[in-house]
Amino acid sequence: MIDVAVRILLYGAVIGGIWALVASGFSLIFGVARILNFAHGIFFILAAYIGIVLIQSGINSYLSTFAGIVIVGGFAVGIYLGLLSKIKDHEVMVIIVTLAIALLVEQILILIFGEHGLSYPDFISGVVRIGMTPITYDRIVAFVVAIVVLTLLEVFIHKTNTGKMILASSQNYEGALLVGIDVDRIFVITMFLSAVLAGVGGVLYGQVFAVSPAVSLKALIFAFAIVILGGLGSIKGSIVAAFIIGYITTIANQFLGAQWSEFTALLIIIAILVIKPTGLFGVEE
Amino acid sequence: MRTEIRGIDLKKLVIGVIFLIFSLTAPFFLPSAYVYLLGMMFLFLIFVISWDVIIGYTGQVNLGHTVFIGLGAYTAALLQVPSRFQGSIDFLASMPKAPIPISILAGGIVAGLFGLAIGVITLRLKGYYFALVTAILPLVFMKSLYVFSDIFGGEEGFSIGLERSLAESTTLRYYYAFAIFLISFIALYIIVNSRIGLRFRAVRDDEDLAESIGVNVVKYKVLSFVVSSFFAGIGGAAIVHYRITIGPDLYDIPLMLLIILAAVIGGLGTLYGPLFGGIVVYLLKNWWLQSLLPVIPSWLPINDDVILYAILIAVGVLAPEGVWEKIKEFLRERSGSKSSRRS
Repeated sequence: MIDVAVRILLYGAVIGGIWALVASGFSLIFGVARILNFAHGIFFILAAYIGIVLIQSGINSYLSTFAGIVIVGGFAVGIYLGLLSKIKDHEVMVIIVTLAIALLVEQILILIFGEHGLSYPDFISGVVRIGMTPITYDRIVAFVVAIVVLTLLEVFIHKTNTGKMILASSQNYEGALLVGIDVDRIFVITMFLSAVLAGVGGVLYGQVFAVSPAVSLKALIFAFAIVILGGLGSIKGSIVAAFIIGYITTIANQFLGAQWSEFTALLIIIAILVIKPTGLFGVEE
Repeated sequence: MRTEIRGIDLKKLVIGVIFLIFSLTAPFFLPSAYVYLLGMMFLFLIFVISWDVIIGYTGQVNLGHTVFIGLGAYTAALLQVPSRFQGSIDFLASMPKAPIPISILAGGIVAGLFGLAIGVITLRLKGYYFALVTAILPLVFMKSLYVFSDIFGGEEGFSIGLERSLAESTTLRYYYAFAIFLISFIALYIIVNSRIGLRFRAVRDDEDLAESIGVNVVKYKVLSFVVSSFFAGIGGAAIVHYRITIGPDLYDIPLMLLIILAAVIGGLGTLYGPLFGGIVVYLLKNWWLQSLLPVIPSWLPINDDVILYAILIAVGVLAPEGVWEKIKEFLRERSGSKSSRRS
C-alpha cells in the first residue's frame, strides 16, 4: 500500500511538473498577447524531435537539446511575426490559423517520422529505489528540471526589467503602451519564452515516456484543461492546476487503467466548469 | 449597383436557380460514382452552413462541431442496430428499428439537447472558455467511444445494413440527400434572416451593446448553439443512412478542419459563402487533389491534408473575411481606378 502511495506521489509530481511547463507557457502568451495558441503542442514535440535528430547525428546531447529548444523558440517567433501579428485583432482567425499550423506540422512529422513513438535519449540512465518503489533517474531529472525552470520563470517575471514589462503588458495593454513599453517587442519575447517552456516540457516528456506526432494534441488538450482549471491567464493557477491534473491522471491510471486516466481528467474539468466556471485563480473577463 | 426584385438580389437568384437546375439534373449526365460523391457533398454542406450559424452569425468559436455530427450519427446508427446494446443496457437492445425519418430527426434532437447542456454551462462565460471547452469535447467524445467500444464499435465503427439506407439506388439516395440539404439550408436561411438572426449578429458585433439594448445575450448564444448543433446532428444522422457505415471519419479532427476551411474560404457569417466554400473544399479534397497528388514527388512530406492546411493558413492570414469578399474587393478597386482615370 505504501508502495502504491509512494509511486503515485512521485509519478504524479513528475507528470505534474511537465504539464506545468506546458501550461504556464500557454497561459503566458494568452495573458500577454491574448493569443489562444492552438499550435502550442507543436512546440512541445518539435523540440523533442529536433533534439533526437541532432543527437542521432552525433552531436553532444546537451548541446542538441539546447539547440532544439532554441530553434523551437525561433520557430514560434517566426510564426508570430509572419502570420499571427497580422491577424492579432481577429481572435477567431487566430484560433483557426494556429489550429491549422498545429495540424500542418503534425501531419508533416507523421510523414517524416511515422506515427510511432520515439524515445529521447536519457541524460543519466539508471534506477534508484525509494522504499520498495523503483524510480528511474530520468523521472527525477524531469521533476528537478521542471521545478528549476518554473522557479527561473517566476524570478524572471518578477525581478527582471523585461519580466516586469511582460507582467505589465498582461495586466493592462493600453497602460503598458502609455508608460512607453514597446509592446510589440514584449509580444515577441513572450512568444519565444512560451515556446521554450513547451520545448523543455517536450524534451522531459520524451525522456520519461516517448514522443509521437499525436502527443502534440495530447499536450495541447492538457494545457487547455489545466488553464481552465487554473483560470485563464493566471500562471500561478496553471502551475497549481498542472499538479492537480498530474495527480488525478496518475491515480486514475493506477486504479482504473491507462485508458481511463485522460478521460477522468477531462470529466473533472467539465465538472469544475459547472461548479466554478472561472477556475481556481481565474479573473473575470 | 444591385438589381433587386422585391428585396431579392437578382444575381443571387440567378446563381441559385443555376445551382438548383444543376443539382437536380446531375444524375442524368454524371457517372454514378460522382453522383454518390455529390450526395455526400450535400450532406457535408449541412455541416458547414450549420457551423456558420454559431461562428459566423453569433461569433462563438465552436471547435467541437464534429461531436454533434457524431452524436447525430451514432443516435441514428444505434436506433437501426439496437442489438449493440446487448450485454450493457439490455432493455434498449429489444427496441424495434426506428423508421428512417424518425431516426434522422432523433439524431438532430439528441445533438441539439447536448448542445443545450454544453451551451448552458459554457456560454455564460465570455469569449475564450467556449472555444477551449468545445476544443476538448471531441477528445472526450472519442475517448468515450473507445472506452465503450462494445456499443459504439470503437475505431472500426459498424454498419447499419444496406436495407436501412435512404434508398437502394444511388440516384434516389442522391435526391434524398439533396432534399435534406435543401430543407436544412432553407430553415437556416429563414432563421438567420429573421429577428432572431438579427439578435445573433448583435451579440457577435458587440455583446455589451446588445445587452444594454435588452438582448438576452446568453439566451441567444445558447439558442444559436442549439440550432447549429441540431442541424449538425441531422447531417450526421443523414450521412449514416446515406453511406450505411459509421466510423471515426465522421467525428475526428480532419473533418473539423475541412468544415473550418470551407467556411473560412467562403467568408464567415454569410451562409452563401460557406455553401460555395463547402462545394469547392469537398471536391478539392475528394476529387481534384486525388488526381494532383501523384504528381508530387514522394520524398516530399506532402499529402492532401498538408495542402489543405496550408491553404487554410494562407486564406486565414491573407483574406480573413473570405476569398469571395477579397475577389469582389479587388474587382471593385479595379473598376474604381478605371473610372477615376476616365475622369
